[in-house]
Amino acid sequence: MEVTIGDLGLDLVEKICVVVLFAYIVTRTRYFAQVLDRQFDVRNRVFLILVFGGFSIYGTYSGVELPSGAIANIRDLGPMIAGLVGGPIVGLGAGLVGGIHRYFVGGFTAVPCALATVIAGLAGGVIYKWRKGEFVGIPGAVLFAFLMESFHMGLALLIARPFSAALEVVKLVSLPMILANMIGIAIFALVLTNLIKERRTATERDKYRRELERRTYEMEIAGGIQQSFLPESPPRIEGVELAALNVPAKEVGGDFYDFIPVSQDKWGLVIADVSGKGVPAALFMALSRTLVRANTVGNLTAAQAIRRANDLIVEDDRVNMFVTLFYSVLDPAGRTLTYVNAGHNPPFMLRRDGRGIALLEAKGIALGVMPDIGLEEREISLREGDMVVLYTDGVTEAINNKEQQFGKERLISIAEKNCNLPASELVKRIQQEITEFSQGQPQFDDLTLMILKVA
Amino acid sequence: MEISEKSVGNVNIISVSGRLDAYAANEVERKLDSLITAGHVCLVVDLSRLDYISSSGLRVLLGAIKRVKKEQGDIRLACLQPSVKEVFDMAGFTQLFRMFDKEEEAVNSFTKA
Repeated sequence: MEVTIGDLGLDLVEKICVVVLFAYIVTRTRYFAQVLDRQFDVRNRVFLILVFGGFSIYGTYSGVELPSGAIANIRDLGPMIAGLVGGPIVGLGAGLVGGIHRYFVGGFTAVPCALATVIAGLAGGVIYKWRKGEFVGIPGAVLFAFLMESFHMGLALLIARPFSAALEVVKLVSLPMILANMIGIAIFALVLTNLIKERRTATERDKYRRELERRTYEMEIAGGIQQSFLPESPPRIEGVELAALNVPAKEVGGDFYDFIPVSQDKWGLVIADVSGKGVPAALFMALSRTLVRANTVGNLTAAQAIRRANDLIVEDDRVNMFVTLFYSVLDPAGRTLTYVNAGHNPPFMLRRDGRGIALLEAKGIALGVMPDIGLEEREISLREGDMVVLYTDGVTEAINNKEQQFGKERLISIAEKNCNLPASELVKRIQQEITEFSQGQPQFDDLTLMILKVA
Repeated sequence: MEISEKSVGNVNIISVSGRLDAYAANEVERKLDSLITAGHVCLVVDLSRLDYISSSGLRVLLGAIKRVKKEQGDIRLACLQPSVKEVFDMAGFTQLFRMFDKEEEAVNSFTKA
């Protein structure tokens, strides 16, 4: 039967499919993975020798019939790949399996063909050694196949007798054989490089995942440490109620508040906001909070204490960070609040008896900007039922889905409406309102609240 | 957030528009740094189209003005919107930065000084 180009084409496509399937399955076996990892042992070597040797035998039987009547086959393909990927022992083994089988099939080209198959495996192994176990790549593999098959044809001319018959066969099959093996090895190499890339990506991804876990864990610890810098609970002070809340935007934040025992009967109330957020702000927060505390304990004058703290903060600040801060000294017995405001959102005081709202403003500048600052000190008297609300801009600048801000007016009106709630309840209530308002938008800035109610 | 730049004489004017938040602050910082490193220490920042500035934005400006002051330069601000001016006022940064209602006034202030 005459072989048409159409038949030939179909035959080729079928053979290619087998190569692809074989390549895909074999490269994804456990043994193959071990060999790729250079973890050789007897089992995986034997497995590969048998598998590629078997593929070589398949090559002998599954030749493509050409229109001239000759048959082009891919017997050498299995051993070539076995050598390239598994080294000389595996290559030689596969070559021997395919070669010895071919020898016993017989014919006048039996010797050169069998020999070529064995050499193909060995040559692949030599390349493996030369590349120190790295796969030679698609172009290298294709070049190897070209040279190997050319050598195979040369061998046939050298050994097979009669020479004239050998020459006839070689003339007919050399081009198809060389091409078929080049294509076959290209397919295999493609499947293999795909696999190698996949494995590399998976390894990298695992490495990143572990690193991420480690960092998340460290950040949680950092968050815990930072929380320990904040007062565990407000002090119990005769005649007043105090409550406070701090929610960082990330694991750590730049806001802080503090209750400082300034003297036997006076308390310092601090609320502050470091520029920025996250780890840099948190580090600066630790510095500022400690310097403020150190300079206000035992010191009665608000302005002096904060000015001194500022000079120390400026000395240590080489990164241009600053902190806005409101510091007040509460005298519960005298019912006064003496305060300074270093660039912070002015707290507001809701007065009972409809005496309106007062803003606790005072001239000043944020801390950490420059040394020797001027801070205006002011005093306000506290009457029964008065309430002071201190906050950071994370509260007023919380945004919802429509990019609207929570705003100072809303905060004031919520405080007014709920002024009868105890301080601790009111703080929670405001937090609830912010959460509802935000409609699920992620928290953008650190959020801090403090409430002082006069009994 | 967008930055554009021009110069009038020895004064460089950069215009920042949109929102100057933590992410945009990096870009503005790079721009200012490169200008200052190149020796341009008379700077005007035009904020006419700036809608919002965060503490990171303030920090970048603070860093820049500290740098230029070391080289006898200055950074002056022009055309602040009311909400932005309020942020500067509250933080006390009005003490640090000279502010002008018009860009020309800011530019001219350099020749007078």
